[in-house]
Amino acid sequence: MFKKYLPIFISLLIVAVAFVLVVQSKSKKPLFESQENNESIGAFKKQSSCARHPQFLSHLNVTQPVTIDLSQQQFKGLAFLYGKNFSKVIHPKAWETFEHFSTYALDKQGNIFLAPMPFISIKPTTFNLQKNIYKLDSLTGKISIFMHFDEVLPSASNPYGIISLVYDCDDDTLWVSAIDESNYREEKGVIYHIDIKSKEILQKVEGMDALTLRLLNSKNGKFLLLGSARKNVLYGFKIEQQKIVSDSKIKLLELPSANERIRKIKITKENLLELQTIPFSYTLIAETSTNQERKEYEIEWNETVHQFESLSK
Amino acid sequence: MTKEIKISMGILLFGLLLLVRYWFTSETRIPVLSEKERIEERIILPQYSRETYRNVPEVQEYLSELKARIQMGKAVLPLEGKYLDKSEILVQKIVLSNKEFLKDTFKNGKLLHNDMMQIHPALIASLNKTSTKICQKHRCYEAKKYNFVNNSTTIAIVDVENRDVLEVTHHENMQPDISLRLKHIAQAIALHAPEIKKELNYKPRRDEMSMANVRGALQGSPCENSEHLCVAPTFSDYKKAEALWAIIDLTELKLSAVKWAGLGKTTTPACISERSLQNRYIMKNFCEKDTALEKNGWKFLYRLTGSDGLEVIDASFEGQSVFKSAKIVDWHVAYEGKGSVDNGSDVHMAGRQVEFVKGEKEKFFFGYNDAMGCPMFSTSVVLPFNAPLVKPLYDKNKKSVGFYLTQDYRNPKWPMACNYRYENRFEFFDDGAFRVVGVNKGRGCGEEAIYRPVMRIDMALGGKEQFYKYRGSWNQWLSEQSDSQKDARLYEKDKYLYKIQNLGNRGYYIEPNRGQFNDQSRGDNATIFVTQYKENEGSKDLLTLGSCCNLEEDGVERYLQKSESIDKKDLVIWYVPRIKNDAREGHEYCWADTVIGNDGNLEVREFPCAVGAKFVPIKF
Repeated sequence: MFKKYLPIFISLLIVAVAFVLVVQSKSKKPLFESQENNESIGAFKKQSSCARHPQFLSHLNVTQPVTIDLSQQQFKGLAFLYGKNFSKVIHPKAWETFEHFSTYALDKQGNIFLAPMPFISIKPTTFNLQKNIYKLDSLTGKISIFMHFDEVLPSASNPYGIISLVYDCDDDTLWVSAIDESNYREEKGVIYHIDIKSKEILQKVEGMDALTLRLLNSKNGKFLLLGSARKNVLYGFKIEQQKIVSDSKIKLLELPSANERIRKIKITKENLLELQTIPFSYTLIAETSTNQERKEYEIEWNETVHQFESLSK
Repeated sequence: MTKEIKISMGILLFGLLLLVRYWFTSETRIPVLSEKERIEERIILPQYSRETYRNVPEVQEYLSELKARIQMGKAVLPLEGKYLDKSEILVQKIVLSNKEFLKDTFKNGKLLHNDMMQIHPALIASLNKTSTKICQKHRCYEAKKYNFVNNSTTIAIVDVENRDVLEVTHHENMQPDISLRLKHIAQAIALHAPEIKKELNYKPRRDEMSMANVRGALQGSPCENSEHLCVAPTFSDYKKAEALWAIIDLTELKLSAVKWAGLGKTTTPACISERSLQNRYIMKNFCEKDTALEKNGWKFLYRLTGSDGLEVIDASFEGQSVFKSAKIVDWHVAYEGKGSVDNGSDVHMAGRQVEFVKGEKEKFFFGYNDAMGCPMFSTSVVLPFNAPLVKPLYDKNKKSVGFYLTQDYRNPKWPMACNYRYENRFEFFDDGAFRVVGVNKGRGCGEEAIYRPVMRIDMALGGKEQFYKYRGSWNQWLSEQSDSQKDARLYEKDKYLYKIQNLGNRGYYIEPNRGQFNDQSRGDNATIFVTQYKENEGSKDLLTLGSCCNLEEDGVERYLQKSESIDKKDLVIWYVPRIKNDAREGHEYCWADTVIGNDGNLEVREFPCAVGAKFVPIKF
């Protein structure tokens, strides 16, 4: 009798097991809306960086670990925090000359390249300060204008200029974003690829507002990750022969809230990214409720489905 | 093939089909709107006051019951018996006498508005280990209430057979599924909202609505304020493949925003927020283009600027030009402090950079300049809320005397400390008079605040304009200069201190506010500046104008340095009132406060101060 109905029992068991597996698998489907085309960045690993800390720190007997504070909460401009609980500070008054900074990039000599940022109050000098990339010299600790962009034109209708940069260890260059030309209707941001030695612009890609940039090497090649200033989206651009490949833009994921923008991208582990988000509307509105307005996400690349999936954060 | 094998294959095939269907049926994924779809969305902001929605019968009944419960010393509005079975009625009775369940229903001796939201048999997944054991043997229920003031949810697990509360958990910033009563109230607000009727072009019925469960939860609320409980009743037009979303704020019991969106994949407005809807609507309609208004003999254009608030341009009355531009370019906010000033580093208050200016006798002044501008792509620090509105203007006898155009600007967290709310108001009278009014609704960082709105009025009386001050008789100003109202003793007809006119004697008296405009104002105490028109002196957006805190100067002085002639020239009037706030109980002025009201909800008490001179046509 049992033998007679065995195929039915087995088929019911197979269907039940399949349901359990599918339900479990579906529960891991991404919170984010990801790209649904054939392009993919592929699996990646956290790579050791060629960047080093400024050499002048060792002359001052500053012990590691050291953090670079651009939060603008306690110190205008740039500050180094070190020692127990990062309670010791290096912050010469001269480092406030160029007002506020948004992002930094360390090179292999220990120089720091800095992108500016308008912060809360507009002064007569504010717009001009957004037209430069700044450099803190590794040996002397002096901050100066590294490169000036006449074509970057911040204004009352968009006070932002140069906003983000990242150092490329492969060829000693910088990838830099500017968002000054954009308006409510048109996305006219620019990504520059700049040779540090000659200060030559090697490539200029127009039409993309990047609030943050990050380089990533994966099994499918090299990519420039880009957190959009206009949308709640993380994009990737393919880089071949040290140039952004035209039409290679991949939409990697869309965040849950339409109001958040990716401000920082960190590669934390193999196939893992950490994203920090803020509300951003090209104004100087100070968001006071930091706990609710700023968010962090940890996302994992799933090589099976070629998508990022959210992990709790 | 045996019959059993065939059945097995059928089961496998059927199971496979079910699995495929399940896999592709998703409720959690967030749809992506294409660029085209995003652009085609249409947004409508509420055009009526909150009272419009509060007058809806269902809302009135709800509020009356709420007040009655609070007066009886009971904070929680229970679920109505008609929606509950006997067990659920018993569960409600048990939890409403449980101290732990009710522990967050009062604050500082005041009862807070709570609603019972759901009572249903407990799901095994929601029980802890102890409750699981008990509930395997007994009938257990789950009861949920929502605290509207704290934006928190309390959940109780009740063993109904033993009449025992097994678990009580409190969840901050969490919102439950709403009760049927609140669902009906949300639908009633949507059905009665004049904005919805206008959009649909007919009176909608309740059965036409679907209620999406888009309450604020893990992924944020559709409301601007994610701490409010919001839902979105929807009207679908399948022929046009469109749906009208009415976003209802159940904490404030009002319509928050209305949005047309396409059907299909774009139906769910993924985590839309009132603010983002407002931003897009305001940018598109008032920042990117001028709006024309013609009413009661007046004709003008208006727009929102990047940092100079609402601007009215090219105004004329009965065919004669009056002014080219009128706007409030800045609000200087200063506070008085005592002791030494530390200029060593920047100081920020509520996210804004503070400026310090040394005063006399160990005093200093600190504060900032508040720019009001477009919600996106601007240097604004105070946001426009809702769009500009046109409202009727009444005199003290409630007789209509004209209309006014107004724009509300707020820090998002107003009325919390160090957050501000300003109203830019332009009053237009039927007799050709007009008044630029700055209204401050606090709350600021505390007492001892001095507010100075900087008003710029570029007159258009034909280019050859002349300016006079009254000193018993009219004395013409021949060069650029300023004057303080506080020194004035004589007013023409006890009203007018200045006048501006052209060579043909067409012009306006300027009547400073001394509290005579029936708006509880304590006067302007203003400084007036008259300058010759120059394109680079405020005709375009002025980013900042002087110091917030140097009370010796208003910022306009920089345009007087050359003392150029203002006889028969194109003139600009700068009018800078000076207001001191007052936080004393019973005397509040330029102030706002939050209290728990008699319905258990947070209630904002506003104490506005209004300033601005009236321009009255000279009649001969």
